[in-house]
Amino acid sequence: MAVGLSHYLAVSAILLVLGLVGIFLNRKNVIVILMSVELILLAVNLNLVAFSAHLNDLAGQVFAMFVLTVAAAEASIGLAIIVIYFRNRGSIEVEDISTLRG
Amino acid sequence: MITAAAFYIFAFVLIAAATMVVTSRNPVHSVLFLILAFFNAAALMLIAGAEFLAMILVIVYVGAVAVLFLFVVMMLDIDFARLREGFQRYLPIGGVVGLILLLELALVIGTWTTATEASDLRLAPNPGGGVSNTKALGQILYTDYVYLFQIAGLVLLVAMIGAIVLTHRRRPGTKRQDVAAQIARSGSVNLEQVPTGVGIGELGIRRPTLPEAPKPKQVEHADHHGGHH
Amino acid sequence: MNWTLALPEIALACAGLVILLVGVIPGRNTFFGCTMAVIGALLLAAVLVLGQPEGTALGGLYVADAFSGFMKILALLGAALGLVLALDFNRRESLDRFEFPVLALFATTGMMVMVSANDLMAVYMGLELLSLPLYVIAAFDRDNGRSAEAGLKYFVLGALASGLLLYGVSLVYGFAGTTNFDRLADVFSGNGGVPAGVVVGLVFVVAGLIFKVSAVPFHMWTPDVYEGAPTPVTAFFAAAPKVAAVALLARVLLGPFGDLAAQWQQVIILASLGSMLLGAFAAVGQRNIKRLMAYSSIGHVGYALMGLAVVSDEGLRGLAIYMLIYMLMNIGTFAILVGMRRRGRAVERIEDLAGLGGTDLGRALWMTVFMFSMAGIPPLAGFFGKLYVFLAAVQGGFWTLAVVGVLTSVVSAYYYLRIVKVMFFDEAPAEGGLDATTPGLAAVTATTGIFNLVFCLYPAPLLLAAGLAAAALLG
Repeated sequence: MAVGLSHYLAVSAILLVLGLVGIFLNRKNVIVILMSVELILLAVNLNLVAFSAHLNDLAGQVFAMFVLTVAAAEASIGLAIIVIYFRNRGSIEVEDISTLRG
Repeated sequence: MITAAAFYIFAFVLIAAATMVVTSRNPVHSVLFLILAFFNAAALMLIAGAEFLAMILVIVYVGAVAVLFLFVVMMLDIDFARLREGFQRYLPIGGVVGLILLLELALVIGTWTTATEASDLRLAPNPGGGVSNTKALGQILYTDYVYLFQIAGLVLLVAMIGAIVLTHRRRPGTKRQDVAAQIARSGSVNLEQVPTGVGIGELGIRRPTLPEAPKPKQVEHADHHGGHH
Repeated sequence: MNWTLALPEIALACAGLVILLVGVIPGRNTFFGCTMAVIGALLLAAVLVLGQPEGTALGGLYVADAFSGFMKILALLGAALGLVLALDFNRRESLDRFEFPVLALFATTGMMVMVSANDLMAVYMGLELLSLPLYVIAAFDRDNGRSAEAGLKYFVLGALASGLLLYGVSLVYGFAGTTNFDRLADVFSGNGGVPAGVVVGLVFVVAGLIFKVSAVPFHMWTPDVYEGAPTPVTAFFAAAPKVAAVALLARVLLGPFGDLAAQWQQVIILASLGSMLLGAFAAVGQRNIKRLMAYSSIGHVGYALMGLAVVSDEGLRGLAIYMLIYMLMNIGTFAILVGMRRRGRAVERIEDLAGLGGTDLGRALWMTVFMFSMAGIPPLAGFFGKLYVFLAAVQGGFWTLAVVGVLTSVVSAYYYLRIVKVMFFDEAPAEGGLDATTPGLAAVTATTGIFNLVFCLYPAPLLLAAGLAAAALLG
């Protein structure tokens, strides 16, 4: 690998933190929360690929491929749930959730 | 040297795009920045030698997931300004917490070590020596990892069932094909041989009466005095 | 390759595909037939698990041992009973679409993959095969805002937890160069400590798994999801997936990370203490009975984790027994909650049970059995569940855990007994008592109730099985 492992890990750590902060900041907007989750998964994939290259081992890349597959499935289910939530509520605000408390 | 420069450029754009994903005002922009981030991440994977994954990332994420996001964002009529409430309020504390987490991770990463025996423990060492990345992955994906491959198939099936069961609606107006009813149908349609070339009037075949020609529309003039105003 | 070892999973998945195909073809509603077929497939898988030999297979991704066998049978039984509860309810609430049992079946396949995982990749895939159908069935009542909201909350937090778990797994992989449990155990059994990176990775993994078992501090989704989801779905959530998730947590922590017990033990102790306390105190003021059951389940997970926190043979045996008893108590209670209807409408407040002792004595008595068992009053099964984990804690010298466990049991007895009091001593509301229950629900209630009553007479075979399961894991 031409670039050091720690550079990759640093990029992926920054992506992870951005994803977490994004969830925290956009609490009301579920779609942006979903995109932040995608960022976290991207960080994981980058981590796996970097380790895979560093160790010269393909298992990490296979793992990253499975993560990609599952992330796509997760996104489709998440968006379907957002659509039915919107149909019921006319909004995608999560903090509207006052009906479930008590 | 050039590789390193390329790495830094792609990494910088990736992080900038990811920042814009979480901070931009309009979710449509967020999705577009997400696409940019995926492209740059794919470039980083390419530099690390994972060619197949880089291509898959572009195809699956940009081609499918990001477009799905875009579709949903544009389909739902959402008041995005209202959803931004609280963003400014949470920004300082979110930033501080994020920074602390980042520093902690930096400490961990800065001193990263790999176990001494790690190279002996590898499950799928890279074959190297002229075997392309795609071929090497294919060789283990369908053999050593066929169990997980099948489970991934089930996960995708579940996602398909789930998305359909949640969002598909049978509207009253639509007509669906009912194969059984079609096959069971008899008697109501008959095939008759009709001699051809005989005058239609003699056989007395009933023809549907033509609908009456629409009458020319009566133009009403509210203002009989006419003239353009 | 030796794929025949994974026969139960393969058979279950194939049955799911066939049922999906058969269910979609006829023009009419196939909910009942599909549910029955799925229950049959689950029981068939349980039989196959009973006859399963031990060993690892499929390139080291899959392991079958006494622990996986015990937990799989629990999960399969819980899933089958949970589907029985859905039969009548879903028809009345027009949720009777055949996808429901099929999704439950695939979720159960995911549980089995999790419980049998011998590799962090298999853990992740099993976890997702479990979670994705659960997100969907939580939102299954799609025209009901609360159900959609439950699905959305569960999904967002679940996806976040999976992401954190994965990040941790990636760090562990980066250190050890492998994700296989046996090889990981070899790496960590070595002398000296591990670098900070692995500890951080372990923390992320434990956080993700604690979310899945809904223990403190990652429990916040539980009350909302339990309350918002349709009642049979709540019953399903509280039984089978919880068993599988606790089993997975135990396997991951004691298997590959067994030699790092010093690193994770404190975390599990705190999660156990927090869950017990929250389960006891937060449930006191609840009026919605499904929400109360959510806090109750958090508390029960706390007791079960106590068995894991002590890291001993007795503790693990206690955990296995606890999950068995918890699952059966919970299914029994939910069989009564699912049947709570007044004039055809489903009700779910505690006051709605008022006067049940006068109108339907049999059901009120069974409910009393379940509440006493949950509170841990001898000689019911729930008492023994708690007894074994408390004994393990005392033997291991974890006095804080044992004392807090006893105290929180006393506090939680208050709200369980309050339900009994409401049933027998409060006036029935003016609009009349609850509607009669259905034969299916009555059968589930009676079966699980009898188990709770007679467990004390002949516990030896179950104790033996749990002991073997524990020994298999701690070896």
